[in-house]
Amino acid sequence: MSQPALTVTTPGQAADRGRRLLEIAGAAAIAATYIFLVLTQPADIANGPASFSALVALGGFLLGAVLLIAAVLPVLPTSTLVLIPVALVLNVVLGQLMGSTGLPFYIDAIGTVLIAVLAGPAAGAATGALSSIVWSFFNPTVLPFAAGAALIGFLAGMAARAGLFRRFYFAPVAGFITGILAGVVSAPIAAFVFGGTSGLGTGAIVSAFRAMGDTLLAAITKQALISDPMDKAIVFTIAALLAYALPRRTTFQFPFVRRFRVLAGKAPSAPDA
Amino acid sequence: MTNDAVTARLHPLTALTAAACTAVITTAAASWPLSIAVALAAAVLAVRSGAARQVLAAAAVILVPLWLSLLVLHGLFFPEGHTVLAQWGPARVTAEGLGFALEVGTRTTACVLVLLLFSFTVSVPDLLAALAARNIPPQFGFVVASTLTLLPAVARRLDRIRQAQETRGMVVRGGLLARLGALRLQMVPLVLALMDDASSRAQALEARGFASPGPRSSYRDVADPPLQRRLRVAALVLTAAAVTARIVASWPAGGTA
Amino acid sequence: MTAVVGTALRARLDAFTFHGENTPALCDVAVSVLPGSLTAVLGGSGSGKSTLGKLLAGWLRAGHAGQLRGSLELGATRLNFRGLPEDPRINPAEWSRRVAFVPQDAAAMLSTVRATVAEELAFGLENRAVPREDMFRAVERTAARTGLTGLLDRDPATLSGGELRRLAVACAVIAEPDILILDEPLASLDAAGAEQIRDLVRSLCGAGSSAGTGNPAGTATGVVLLSQAADTLAREAAHWTVLDGGTVTAAGAPAQLIGSAELERAGVLGAAAVRGHGPVPAIALRPAVYPPPSSGPAPLELRGVGFSYGLDRRRWGAPRYRGHRLREQAVRRVLQNLDLTVRPGEIIAVTGPNGAGKSTLLRHINGLLRPSEGDVRVCGRSIAGVPVGTVAASVGLLFQHPRDQLFERTVLREAAFGLRQHFGKAEAEYRARAALAAVGFTTADEAVHPAELSASQQRLLALATVLAREPAVLALDEPTVGLDRRGLERLDRAVSAAAARGTAVVLVTHDLAYARATAHRVLELDGGTLRDV
Repeated sequence: MSQPALTVTTPGQAADRGRRLLEIAGAAAIAATYIFLVLTQPADIANGPASFSALVALGGFLLGAVLLIAAVLPVLPTSTLVLIPVALVLNVVLGQLMGSTGLPFYIDAIGTVLIAVLAGPAAGAATGALSSIVWSFFNPTVLPFAAGAALIGFLAGMAARAGLFRRFYFAPVAGFITGILAGVVSAPIAAFVFGGTSGLGTGAIVSAFRAMGDTLLAAITKQALISDPMDKAIVFTIAALLAYALPRRTTFQFPFVRRFRVLAGKAPSAPDA
Repeated sequence: MTNDAVTARLHPLTALTAAACTAVITTAAASWPLSIAVALAAAVLAVRSGAARQVLAAAAVILVPLWLSLLVLHGLFFPEGHTVLAQWGPARVTAEGLGFALEVGTRTTACVLVLLLFSFTVSVPDLLAALAARNIPPQFGFVVASTLTLLPAVARRLDRIRQAQETRGMVVRGGLLARLGALRLQMVPLVLALMDDASSRAQALEARGFASPGPRSSYRDVADPPLQRRLRVAALVLTAAAVTARIVASWPAGGTA
Repeated sequence: MTAVVGTALRARLDAFTFHGENTPALCDVAVSVLPGSLTAVLGGSGSGKSTLGKLLAGWLRAGHAGQLRGSLELGATRLNFRGLPEDPRINPAEWSRRVAFVPQDAAAMLSTVRATVAEELAFGLENRAVPREDMFRAVERTAARTGLTGLLDRDPATLSGGELRRLAVACAVIAEPDILILDEPLASLDAAGAEQIRDLVRSLCGAGSSAGTGNPAGTATGVVLLSQAADTLAREAAHWTVLDGGTVTAAGAPAQLIGSAELERAGVLGAAAVRGHGPVPAIALRPAVYPPPSSGPAPLELRGVGFSYGLDRRRWGAPRYRGHRLREQAVRRVLQNLDLTVRPGEIIAVTGPNGAGKSTLLRHINGLLRPSEGDVRVCGRSIAGVPVGTVAASVGLLFQHPRDQLFERTVLREAAFGLRQHFGKAEAEYRARAALAAVGFTTADEAVHPAELSASQQRLLALATVLAREPAVLALDEPTVGLDRRGLERLDRAVSAAAARGTAVVLVTHDLAYARATAHRVLELDGGTLRDV
């Protein structure tokens, strides 16, 4: 057996195109599923829930999430990979902490957004999707929302890349916009797979729109547009405040933070390597 | 699957396939008697395998709010309904609405129970070893297992932080902003400590060859009898058939929208 | 494989700077490690020992973690780094297989994804696709070598501190590295656990005998010990390197360096006096020079306090036994009819073996735990029913793990936390600065992020946050653990100054020598009550 080298060459770019294709396929699966569901939504649900739409929603969104994970996960650097379990735990624990304050939001994506800010959109998307998959171990109903969670992580990463986390007052704006998109994408899942929302508060809002004669999908989409942007604005703000509280040695170990100057503050003297 | 001895000897992938296929077939079938039957079967199996308390407790946390929400939403407001049973102002109880809630509610109940039964009876190390043996990227197994290891540890740590901060005179009270502020102060040491640990863990994992490409071997061996392999194939074929049947049956209905 | 005598490691680090920082963490450091020998790198807290160890072992890598100028030489391979993108990139898996590192926090070595000790040991082998039969043999052999044979089926999360440390060493040793770097391998171990690690180190490098090259197994491991104490193990080393402020201030044989000014200045413990086994006592023994306590009303009184775990349901975070449910175990009485009166300015030391309930006693003083019988009175008033956050105004408690107690962005904000409501901005900052000065922080340190301080300084900062409130009672849990010599001196000064102001001090320590040197009275907690020693 030959002695393996003590050094490595610069990581090859050969496999990159395959990964990129997988990423695009994943995103396309999610987008196509959404468009298909909206176009073919059953006009009359009086004969029972649309089992067909449920299967399409489940299949399409899960396929998209799995493709995204398959594209991103194997190439994530270990320093980012070890943060994903931390993010998942933070999603759960901080979500419960927030719950204990009695705020009317579920705030279950702080960890995902924090990773996206530190490690970029791809890591954020993978974290979001994985978060849903791991959490479904204890609550299977979150599994179908994997695509929405991936979208949140991805958009948070893009916002960080664009510098929206340099000032804390931009973070909630980015969160608000993310919430709109994520809410709209997740609405078909709630409508077709679960036939409603899982919370009483949100259920009441949907009921109000239904009372005005909206279709189920429209009512749930409108409800999502009311609660999700606010929820994500809070999540993004908390994640930003947490990121600011971290010492520079911690944040600057991430090439994404160094390269795109994600957080405010003067650039370090050391050049990128 | 008639007794717990069989459940215990199930290969984790067989259990996973069985649970997932049952959930998909139940969804495709869209018939509430079948859903109820599946839910009951899952509950019986949970009792037999001794995981009933965990499964039912976890299911209750999910399903009780869902059922309430469904009953309020569809029981009282269902504009598509024709058969009005009762009416108070804008709220109308319709037979169709109640039927819809029953249909969706039982379907979700069945799926949740089946999947929870799987997660509370499977041996996680065996599942990970089985996944690794099938060329699932080791990173996936790492994320799943590490999260399950970290959860209880983090809960303990948070409690320690809370004690330490109370000791420094932090009293959580006051308005929303004050509470949020106090919360942030609890989160900071937690996040910092977790990220510090994570960065040394990354270094340790790389040092132990976790990031190296190439083949891996497995210390843990999970027996996979041929019968179970055939069972899995059969379950997958059956599920595919059920899904296809549903799509073929429903396509025109969907297309006319 | 042919019989290998071993490979030498040579490092010449001109400068290493972490990303995001402007001053190098290490500069002008040269180290060389010979196979089969024990080398010690000694330095105080924050001297850069861990950074050096991680750089040598490929845990921190040039370009990846920071900018490195210098060279690393392992056997016949020599890598030169100029701090440029085209520098060689270390393959961490291969490099670490030959130069292994065991961090101070042994838990950081574990993968967290393996269910048993045996699988954890095999994790590194699995990643290198070692066939199963070979893995079984290697696991068995390594377990026998590190005394883990009886623990192979245990869940790593349930191991004790000493067992965990041995598992971490075993995870490194199983790859049969040429060089093994151990970061504070004896930190926070009890006497028995420390002795096992010492024996393990001796057997690994064949040290203790003057020959030192090659043991019967045919592989001689060069061991590098990173330590802030010139303790028994360090004194067995063939060569010392003294690290101070990120640079080497002295190097040579222990006999030449012992008692040297460089060692003293580096803040290394036990730099002068020669001592026997066990942890090095904090400071040179001397009679208590503190003013005697005054005779005013007692700030702290415990009357007939009794406590058992399993009865207190207020917190589930109270100590548990290896995850077993306590309720099913026999209820353990920790404190029983315990009386204690501390007068103003009096320093009381409480000692006792591990698990005697010392920390439990301290947690009663500020109400984190509530007695099942008896009463705790602070400044003459019972604290029963008073929230911990309110008791904190008169009782300052310093925990063993300062990291949990720190949460602000800068040192100054940390010390001033909570003072502003009581004293206003100017007065709060004045008090915070005074407390910081009392533990040896300068104005230049005020803007530093607490997380970037060394462990020793973090402990002192936590002490300052407590002192800033000028509490009537000061309770310290194992204050000496992890402190280097400078830290101990500052702790000593701060505690005596507080006592001189009339603060009643209760400190809990396993270090009897330190207790004798510091306290007016030394009490032993035994069988749930206190008795004079």
